[in-house]
Amino acid sequence: MTHGAHEAVTTSARPSAYGLAAFRGGLHLRKLAAGAVLPLLVILLWQLAGTGGSLFGGVLPTPDRVASAWYTWAFGNRGMGMNPYSGSWFDSVVFSTTRVLQGFAVALLVGIPTGIMIGWNRLVAGAVDPALQMLRPIPITAWLPFAIAVFGISSIGAVFLIALGVFYPVVINTTQGARHVERNLVRAAQMMGASRLDILLRVVIPASLPSIFTGVRIGLGTGWTAVIVAEMIAVKSGLGYVLWDAYYLGRMDVVIADMATIGIMGLLSDQLILMIERYALSWRLVNSNR
Amino acid sequence: MARIEISSLAKVYPGPKPVNALDHVSLDVAEGEFIALLGPSGCGKSTLLNILAGFESKTEGEVRFDGQPVGKAGPDRGVVFQEAALFPWLTVFDNVTFGPRMQGVAKPVYEKIAHDMLALVGLRDFAHAYPSQLSGGMRQRVGIARVLVMKPRALLMDEPFGALDAQTRLSMQELLLEVWQRLKTTVVFVTHDIDEAVLLADRVCIMSARPARIARQINIDLPRPRSIDDLTTPAFIRYKAEIMQVMRDAHPAKAIAAE
Ligand SMILES: Nc1ncnc2c1ncn2[C@@H]1O[C@H](COP(=O)(O)OP(=O)(O)O)[C@@H](O)[C@H]1O
Ligand SMILES: [Mg+2]
Repeated sequence: MTHGAHEAVTTSARPSAYGLAAFRGGLHLRKLAAGAVLPLLVILLWQLAGTGGSLFGGVLPTPDRVASAWYTWAFGNRGMGMNPYSGSWFDSVVFSTTRVLQGFAVALLVGIPTGIMIGWNRLVAGAVDPALQMLRPIPITAWLPFAIAVFGISSIGAVFLIALGVFYPVVINTTQGARHVERNLVRAAQMMGASRLDILLRVVIPASLPSIFTGVRIGLGTGWTAVIVAEMIAVKSGLGYVLWDAYYLGRMDVVIADMATIGIMGLLSDQLILMIERYALSWRLVNSNR
Repeated sequence: MARIEISSLAKVYPGPKPVNALDHVSLDVAEGEFIALLGPSGCGKSTLLNILAGFESKTEGEVRFDGQPVGKAGPDRGVVFQEAALFPWLTVFDNVTFGPRMQGVAKPVYEKIAHDMLALVGLRDFAHAYPSQLSGGMRQRVGIARVLVMKPRALLMDEPFGALDAQTRLSMQELLLEVWQRLKTTVVFVTHDIDEAVLLADRVCIMSARPARIARQINIDLPRPRSIDDLTTPAFIRYKAEIMQVMRDAHPAKAIAAE
């Protein structure tokens, strides 16, 4: 009996489909190069538009000034602590990143199980969902005074805000995923003797993973927003603090270097999550024929 | 003793506009018998099968399986779904061993059975592929293998080949005939395809328009083992003509359109 031979296997089904990943890697570089054209052009025009190192009558420094301020901020001698923008870049990055990571961890630890339970269990949905829907319209910025009042001017307040900002998209997307698990997948598991717990762990959670990752990626964006806002007001360190401080001191070169840093950190962290997602959902990515 | 005894089974889906899906259906299926439930879409075939499987509750009547009222779904009644319903995050092998793993069967035991069943459905070389890498027909083979490993006492199949192209459907029908010839499991096979019903079944139960009843039962006395070559024999065509006539009477306008 060789029934397998009767049917054509779809193109993506061949084992060599795994090799596509390497091929895409090659494309990636070219895409990266194409994507760099526009920013480089903007930077060039910006540089050419400036006179004497600035635009708009001294408000906006030219890219070379920004680059040099950034260099000093990153590698400069700290001196006697006289210049806050000398050699402190790395510390600021670490402060902000650590807070984002902490808030992120709290949000995922609470948000994913909560979302799964809301999506899977009607009782939990009835008890928790209305409260969530009422709290959600309150923007994290509106929580700032609350956070400062409760946690003082401290890292914990910032982490609280970040966690809150990440929590909502994570919990909402996880709920969606768990609520819309294909009915026949659950029925198939029941038919094969799976217990309720088995179904939760082996069907509902894996089936929700794509939605969970969507929520995590949206949450990451909110997380970086939250850390900057929190550091501008509720803490005295990190990229957000430097951003506001430099503005007050009229150091627009540092402000722009700071903004660029935030952009790069956001991009890198998003890419990191994308890599984890590709790995965790590799079963889905091989089906390029859908 | 019949393996499946359905008596006066009624089903109403509640709601603002209740749907009267089954109207006191009675049907017995003997041990090892292959029956086909035939009717146009929307007549209540899936409802009947889902109640048998334990996925849906009944409104009235009795459904017994091996003498016991059917309870919730379980491995004694293996269900094959139209779209296979495989777990896309598991490999073919892990899909096929899912049932035994849930039931705590020892690994060496289920691994051997799983390999045997994969060979039986012609997928020995695809054990480590993911469902997304398979064609529709191959996915359905996995769907069949994963219930066979559980050695179910009945197979419930809901238009399992309905979504496949004609060529693939023929090869799947042939595969099912071979498998059944070997295992002689009780099968309840839902279809809206007359050819398929006559080719596979010992008995074709034609369902009336909704709310469904069994309009007529026709024994198919074609010799076994059968193959797709039977599709063109005079005896086959006589059965087909008879069933078409019953369908026309049971479903005045819709019967032919639904084909
Ligand atoms: N969960 C449900 N709720 C309400 N009505 C349903 C439900 N499932 C099926 N029906 C209705 O019951 C009737 C029979 O459906 P079904 O058993 O799926 O038919 P078939 O499988 O023969 O196509 C249809 O009219 C369908 O719309
Ligand atoms: Mg149906």
